[in-house]
Amino acid sequence: MAWFQRLWNVVRPARLQRELDRELSFHLLERVEELQASGMSRDDAMRTARLQLGNYTVQIERTREMDIHQRLDTTLRNLRHAVRALAKAPGFTATVVATLALGIGANSAVFSAIYAVLLRPLPFPNADQLVTVAQVNPKARQPFVAPVRLADWNRLNKTFQAITGYYIQDESELSGELPERLTRAFVASRFLQVWGVAPALGRDFSPMEEHFGGPPAVLISDRLWRRRFNGDPSVIGKTLRLGRSFVPIIGVMPASFQFPVRGVDLWSMSADDASFARSRELTWYNGVGRLKPGVTIEQARANLAAVQSALGLEFPKPDAEISSRIEPLKETTVGGVRSSLWILFGSVSLLLLIACTNVAALLLSRATARQQEIAVRFSLGASRGSVVAHLLAEALILAVSGAVLGLLLAAAAAGVFRSLAKNLPRIEEISLDWRIVIYSLACAIVATLVCGIFPAIRGTRNNLADSARRSRTSVSGGSRVQFALVGVQVALAVTLLTGAALLVRSFQQLGRVSPGFQPERVLTFQISSSWGETGDFKASKRRVDRTLEGLRAIPGIDAAASAYGLPGVPAEFQVELKTEEGRAETEPKIIAQGRSVSPTYFATVQIPLLAGEMCRDEASGNTMMVNRAFANAYFAGSSPIGRHLSQPGNIYIQTTEVRGIVGDARETGMDREPVPTVYWCYSPGQPGTHFLARTHGEPRAMAETVRRTMHDIEPIRSVYDMTPLVDQISDAYSENRLRTILLAFFASAATMLACVGLYGTISYIVNVRKREVGLRLALGAVRTQIVGQFLSQGLVVSTLGCLAGLAIAVAFTRLLSGMLYGVSATDPVTLGSVVMIVLVVSVLASLVPSIRASRLDPMQVLRED
Amino acid sequence: MGTRKNDILQGTLVLLVLKTLASGRRMHGYAITAHIHGLSDQLLRVEEGSLYPALHRMEQEGWVRAEWGTTEKNREARFYSLTQKGRKQLTQEQESWSRLTEGVARVMRGAVRAEVK
Repeated sequence: MAWFQRLWNVVRPARLQRELDRELSFHLLERVEELQASGMSRDDAMRTARLQLGNYTVQIERTREMDIHQRLDTTLRNLRHAVRALAKAPGFTATVVATLALGIGANSAVFSAIYAVLLRPLPFPNADQLVTVAQVNPKARQPFVAPVRLADWNRLNKTFQAITGYYIQDESELSGELPERLTRAFVASRFLQVWGVAPALGRDFSPMEEHFGGPPAVLISDRLWRRRFNGDPSVIGKTLRLGRSFVPIIGVMPASFQFPVRGVDLWSMSADDASFARSRELTWYNGVGRLKPGVTIEQARANLAAVQSALGLEFPKPDAEISSRIEPLKETTVGGVRSSLWILFGSVSLLLLIACTNVAALLLSRATARQQEIAVRFSLGASRGSVVAHLLAEALILAVSGAVLGLLLAAAAAGVFRSLAKNLPRIEEISLDWRIVIYSLACAIVATLVCGIFPAIRGTRNNLADSARRSRTSVSGGSRVQFALVGVQVALAVTLLTGAALLVRSFQQLGRVSPGFQPERVLTFQISSSWGETGDFKASKRRVDRTLEGLRAIPGIDAAASAYGLPGVPAEFQVELKTEEGRAETEPKIIAQGRSVSPTYFATVQIPLLAGEMCRDEASGNTMMVNRAFANAYFAGSSPIGRHLSQPGNIYIQTTEVRGIVGDARETGMDREPVPTVYWCYSPGQPGTHFLARTHGEPRAMAETVRRTMHDIEPIRSVYDMTPLVDQISDAYSENRLRTILLAFFASAATMLACVGLYGTISYIVNVRKREVGLRLALGAVRTQIVGQFLSQGLVVSTLGCLAGLAIAVAFTRLLSGMLYGVSATDPVTLGSVVMIVLVVSVLASLVPSIRASRLDPMQVLRED
Repeated sequence: MGTRKNDILQGTLVLLVLKTLASGRRMHGYAITAHIHGLSDQLLRVEEGSLYPALHRMEQEGWVRAEWGTTEKNREARFYSLTQKGRKQLTQEQESWSRLTEGVARVMRGAVRAEVK
């Protein structure tokens, strides 16, 4: 309480002043009365009393000083002494501050990412009410919701404020010289209501605009507004030329609103009351909903399930088979990167722990080296508490300087992080704000306690008069503790290094797989198109054919194809198929990955034909290819060629004849074994279709020619996403790469710190035992013996550390198992090379001080002291 | 705080106040000065300028407790009383005081003897 009172007095001097005033005036009054009683006049008595009491104001001042002076004074004195003491040892100070800065900086940087991506709510009001709502049809394997069903759900549920939907396509905007690609979201009614976001400028869609055939209207993104209209507020009412229509702008969304996808430019209504939208079979929307306040996700799930089963009774076909799925929107957005980020956070926390251990060992050496100074303080009457406080003050100054420097590092690192991880969800939200500063300072305080307490307590133990007498040649048990600390560092470094090495090995393995196709020298790009166009199948097909012919005509291009989805880039399109020829009930269901490609696809990415013939460009379009895995899995002993396959529940794809078998390719990702796959040989040219061109030389060199040719063929469409296939694949694994690079970096830093720790400890031991070494040299010891003695000490410590580290690593690398490819979590080669690396560097780290010890001049050393 | 001529007696002031309050009575500042003045046969005069800062510090250390009350003349005054901690402090200060006086006395006697020789 006394402390609190003091602080309170600092904050509220007025109260103290009033109390003192009252107390002193009482005293004055009593004195005056006494003096008057002895016969003085009132005025004289007053004057004398005042005089005796001394200066009134000074009194008050002095009393107030009493409050804060003492504690503040000792604290300040401690800090001042600490600064002075640290300034006298610049090498030590710099090492410790740099070590802590690295530890705290890396930790704060990763924490800022964790905070922005995982912890902070999504940037919408009451974002925890937002959920994704999907339609589950066991046959169709698509999460999209039919417009009619979305309307039914909205009408019948009791747990949502509103449910809405959207889909995306890329558009060409034609007001400029060249078509510009814009990403446009078509949204269902109640879209902005669900997000709880209003346009920053202009207005939401009007009820008229929500109906089919109503006036056209578009909301534009802040980015587009600034880029195209220079942020002009009079943009409302201006028009964009999208394809053949002119659409007026009704509003500008705030910069923070980037939904459904980052980089979305336009939002316009998708009228769900069009006659063609009435079918219960159609699926259009990605569903998003906002729960009512206080409604849990379980309640919403139960409620919507009940609603859907009622619909199932009303419309047995197809609603009886359909169910719904609800997930928190945040989970859908960031769930995929959660484990990566926590693993990174775990590794930087280990790094910080190593840094703290390192600093603790350094502080301990320092405390031991200062034993005499501390002993003198004790004999001068300092209490143990005050000496500990003094040592802690040093640790605090070191940690806070480390934290400040670390924050600067983290600020720089955030930029690197953003450029490395451009595919990470919410990456644009990562920033260093006050919470990160608080976090770093908290790290600093924890670091102070972790690094400082132990050396302070240890350094002040047994430090009474006897230790002042103790000779400097005796080595106390302190070195054992230091070696233990170094061992811990080595162990943690080995743990991190093992994790990093496993990831690096996986990455190498991934580069070595033969994927069953040739990704090199293939240029890929997209051309804007709309979902509406796919309604006219023939016109769509003509357009795709025209594009492919144009591509093939370019000199330097050997083959061209279209495909929905790129080979090697993870994507799943799972379908369930039936053969028209029938199958026995006992045979397994035919489940396969489905791909829509142009017949030229196989030649373009060089997937070989194994049996049968290549499907051809036929007017009917009803042919398909299957891969070997498919043939082996479902037609072992017979041949799928000539069979007819259909996909129940999919009204777009008709029964198709299998023409041939092609080789297995890693269509669903480089890290996944080829699975049974069917290729429909037709290209509907829907939004998201990729064009692939096999080039004679470097694909990038062809980009400009291809772009120009495409512009000639399709003047009102924009060409975008022009990237070599190898880059597309590598971008798909960028999170993988980020994880690997960062973990490797942290692990190297950890190893370096452990080496510094080992180096420092051996140097310290050498220093403490200088006299002994000098004596032995003088008595004829061979220099190599001296080197061997210190070297073996270092080696024993690092070997023990390695063993402990391996044990920890084996226990924890299971966390990584889902991220590894082609290497087991306990791969002996990896573990062995990690141990080798650590042993080699630790030998180097201990060699330098050991050699220095052996070069000591015995005479000089013995003459010292 | 500047040096004042009675600074060396700072420690003794605390001792005197603790001793004064040891009787267990609650006393206000004025009564404490009067008490010391009276008991020392007017030999010791508490400098009033130091008393209140000292009382305040003792309160912060937890040696005395202070509370507002009224005197018999019905005036508002701050009354001080000794705490358990203060009682312990008193024993300590008494010990060190007697050690000090004894030490000083010995030195003085030695000095006298040395002069005599």
